[in-house]
Amino acid sequence: MNPNMWPRPDITLWSRPFWDGVRRHELIAQRCIHCGQLRYPPGPTCNRCLSDRHDWTRLTGEGQVQSWVVFHQVYWNELATEVPYNVALIRLAEDVLFISNLVGVDHAEVHMGMPVRVVFDDVDDDLTVPRFAPTEPSTQASTR
Amino acid sequence: MANTVRVQNAVSGQVAVVGIGETDYAEDWRRARAGERYSDSYGYAQLAFRRALQDSGLHRDDIDGLVVGPTLAYERTAEVLGLDVGWASQADAAMSVIQGATALVTGQAERVALVYGNDQRTSTVQYGGPGAMGGDAYLSYVYYAPWGFTSQGGLYALMTRRYMELTGLTERALGEVAVAQRGFSSVNPNAVMRATLSIDDYLSSRYITEPLHLFDYTIINDGGVALIMTLNDDPIVRNSNRTVTIRGLGRSDLNVDATSLRPRLMDFYHTAHSKAAAELYEVSGCGPDDVDALQVYDSFSCHIPFALTGFGFCKDEDVGDFLMSGAIRPGGRLPVNTSGGHLSESYMQGWNHQVEAVRQLRHAADQRQVPNARLVQYISDVAGKVVSLIYEGSDRGAKK
Repeated sequence: MNPNMWPRPDITLWSRPFWDGVRRHELIAQRCIHCGQLRYPPGPTCNRCLSDRHDWTRLTGEGQVQSWVVFHQVYWNELATEVPYNVALIRLAEDVLFISNLVGVDHAEVHMGMPVRVVFDDVDDDLTVPRFAPTEPSTQASTR
Repeated sequence: MANTVRVQNAVSGQVAVVGIGETDYAEDWRRARAGERYSDSYGYAQLAFRRALQDSGLHRDDIDGLVVGPTLAYERTAEVLGLDVGWASQADAAMSVIQGATALVTGQAERVALVYGNDQRTSTVQYGGPGAMGGDAYLSYVYYAPWGFTSQGGLYALMTRRYMELTGLTERALGEVAVAQRGFSSVNPNAVMRATLSIDDYLSSRYITEPLHLFDYTIINDGGVALIMTLNDDPIVRNSNRTVTIRGLGRSDLNVDATSLRPRLMDFYHTAHSKAAAELYEVSGCGPDDVDALQVYDSFSCHIPFALTGFGFCKDEDVGDFLMSGAIRPGGRLPVNTSGGHLSESYMQGWNHQVEAVRQLRHAADQRQVPNARLVQYISDVAGKVVSLIYEGSDRGAKK
């Protein structure tokens, strides 16, 4: 995987702390100060209690795969050499849903409930992207 | 919560579709593939509008209400059609019908035109990737770009994989949808895709975003659609031997956690399906067993199993068997997308489904006619909003 070619995130008013946290190799999420609800993607207010006061809490970075797909179609010309690549839905331990790539695993090995942990890809001097790797040993050597 | 008694009293049987018009999807596809570009969204819209007017027997100056689809600018459309109306709106397919009905029953308009046009093929609209269509309205279409996750197809593929893991639905069973809809489009002279498809053809086709194959994706083509609606006691209704009315409607949205895709991925939209179904069937005074044919917004084939199970036509764990029984095919006990739908007829974002519902209920669907069709249901569950309509056809003057 050559992360340099991947589209860059749209860093907004609410998501900037998230991307700064990732740069520090921390996976953090907004937490409502009033009711404790975590929210991701980041936004201005708690949709459960409508409080707009939040702080940021560090997540363990551990979770389980709950779905996955493999992109065969090239949607960005820059990713033509990356295809086929996977994207997975990971349910983090804190019940935050996170969509990201799985690294260090063959597509055929991915399965429901597979335990994974966040890894931080330092793409360049400005950007780090969180991806996920299996925490169980692979059954075969993989090149991706 | 909707007051279904009030909705039923106000709408059920009160509003009629008196005109339908479509452009020549198949011919326009051939010309587009030959590199011709001779029309645009407004050009297709005006042709469909004129055909719907002619079909209704009304004149342009009779129209006093207008709804345009999401791909048209309202003012420009009204300018092109020469319409200075007293009521207007902009909405997607099902909501255009519902809003038009609301205008009619409240008395704000007497003859409402619903108009749609889309030149997505010849203007090479991109669905996914940089500048993904719809990205300004739906954060989930663009937020995940850093991970290469894009396109509505990607989202539905992620949903379908999880659904397959949890319910046992197989690619083989899902392939029934594409095959069945080609069965209908192959006898629809206006459909873009006329060739039949076998399951082997489906399974051997390339993956776009696995587990979804090429034939699980809607076609992208140009066209226009229009409908004309009036109250059921409008004199123009007497033009036809068969009247088609709205029997019921229902809607339920899932906006909370939309971008994280939680309702889509964890629940397959079933919470919204069941709420919309409850409203719809109460307003309509009927149930799934009464439906003769089903039109489902099929940007992707997986919408069909989600809609079938969400609305109670079968259970999640049985939907694979249901599909493989041939139930949704021509001649099956619940024909789905009887014109070929988005997968095979035309991708008019649900608008062609409304026209097909009306055509079936007029008993004017030629070789693809569902025998004795009396109730046709439409379901859409895209982008987290579930909307459903039931149309009813009856002989003019027949008592219910």
